[in-house]
Amino acid sequence: MEKEIIKFTDVSIGYNRKTIAQNISLSIYQNDFIGLVGPNGAGKTTFLKTLLGSIKPLSGSILKDDLRFGYVPQRDVVQPLLPYTVFDVVMMGRYSLMPTFSSPKEIDIDKVLSSLEKVGIYDLKNLQYNSLSGGQRQRTLIARALAIEPDILILDEPTNGMDTPSHYGLLELISELHENQNLTILLVSHLLTDVANYVKKIILIEKNFFQFGGIDEILSEENLMKAYSSTFSVTKLNDEFVIRLKQRN
Amino acid sequence: MEIIQQLIEIFPYAILGSILAGIICGFLGVFVVSQRVVFLGASLTQVAIAGVAFSFLHLINIEAMISSLFNIVITEDSFLHHFEPAFFSLLFSLLVVIVFSQTHRQKFLTQDGLLGIIFVVAIAARIMIIQKSPVAELSEIESIMKGDILFIGSREFYSLLAITFFIITFFTLFQKQLKFVVFDPESSSAYGINSKLWLLLFYLVVGTGISLTTRYVGDVFTFAYLIIPSSIGIMLGKNVLKVFLIAVLIGASLPPLALFLAFKYDFSSGPMTVVLAFAAFLTVLFYKKIKEN
Repeated sequence: MEKEIIKFTDVSIGYNRKTIAQNISLSIYQNDFIGLVGPNGAGKTTFLKTLLGSIKPLSGSILKDDLRFGYVPQRDVVQPLLPYTVFDVVMMGRYSLMPTFSSPKEIDIDKVLSSLEKVGIYDLKNLQYNSLSGGQRQRTLIARALAIEPDILILDEPTNGMDTPSHYGLLELISELHENQNLTILLVSHLLTDVANYVKKIILIEKNFFQFGGIDEILSEENLMKAYSSTFSVTKLNDEFVIRLKQRN
Repeated sequence: MEIIQQLIEIFPYAILGSILAGIICGFLGVFVVSQRVVFLGASLTQVAIAGVAFSFLHLINIEAMISSLFNIVITEDSFLHHFEPAFFSLLFSLLVVIVFSQTHRQKFLTQDGLLGIIFVVAIAARIMIIQKSPVAELSEIESIMKGDILFIGSREFYSLLAITFFIITFFTLFQKQLKFVVFDPESSSAYGINSKLWLLLFYLVVGTGISLTTRYVGDVFTFAYLIIPSSIGIMLGKNVLKVFLIAVLIGASLPPLALFLAFKYDFSSGPMTVVLAFAAFLTVLFYKKIKEN
């Protein structure tokens, strides 16, 4: 049995006393690979911010070990005009671990280079972040998260707006990081099929509706109906989930 | 040659002060432009002038408060029209940047919208304050707006030197935090860096630099040198360090040249610095276009 690292007990989340989702109870264990799905505006980002500690829960308790979060934002959020290199961007992750007035040491440089190696963009280290493709930018941001040697890697819609090869290439990379590095991963996505075929557990979130558990258990047509107010068919083909919209209500 | 000699003899502090003002604006401008908050520069220059105008109302006697607080005697001649305008210019600007720094990613108000409101309110407030001021010296306010670098004396020069030193020290000491927070504020919080605090400090320093530079060299010079040298730096710089170096170099080198041209052809120095910077910008833009094709 893996170690429990995060425990939500009857948590309500929201902003300015406005509840977005409530009665959230779940436990995240070391080496979990969890997908967080739900319709737009369901509270996925609010859940993430609450987990990261950026906003406080409205009620309930969240127990966390002294965890180091490797957060990978949506890449559209990061649009620098300045010509930062890939190496510069990944090094930023290490800044949070350095004392205020110190500069990067040998160990920081090693960690940055090994992170670049892990995500397969070592050769791009001296290129400008601005000049990269969407997939390469996302890998850079993942490398930045890996550079801090996180306890849990959190990815917010990592494949948004990518072409098909980059899309599946990135999902494969995330899957490999979980398998080979034993990383605990929380993957936020609005693409149900992607999530279903890569992760091991799912959080399904919608206003006043919260489900957490194994994929077979959560991805039922009934649950999807409740979350998306639409009718889906969920089938398995060659051990892969195929989720189709039958009727939009 | 004769003109240069005359300039050096008559306006040594103006030449040196304009170089420092160009360095401050060029350096801060890289952040302002890369953060896509160019309008912040425009708004702060107007807010700074509104602060100067407010000082002419003499509603609050800052000199008297300071002298009673520290039990010191200060003569009006030594302080009046030197300390108060700069104080209120700085105070107004800092209040604005405090509000502005807390508006990142607001749902109901864009940063651009907020800056637009601040911009017009600052202009309106300045006009109304000047109309009601019992001792308003329009010539002084006009000179601030026009940006007459020739008014820089030893006091202004040493103030600008202190601001330059303060800004460069601040950004050097805290470059790691500022770099991350400016690059990606959302993630920096998740990585344990207090992005709200660092953004507030960042904008306070930017506000200080802009307001005091506006007080000494005018809004036209300040705004132009926030935007143009940094834009040239971003166009030409192959890495971040080079962007800063180019912006600072352009900011430092053009004002003395503009002073020379203004003196020679009998133009106001403030507008001349802007025209020269714009000419440099066009040249670089043209060069980039040719290189791209």
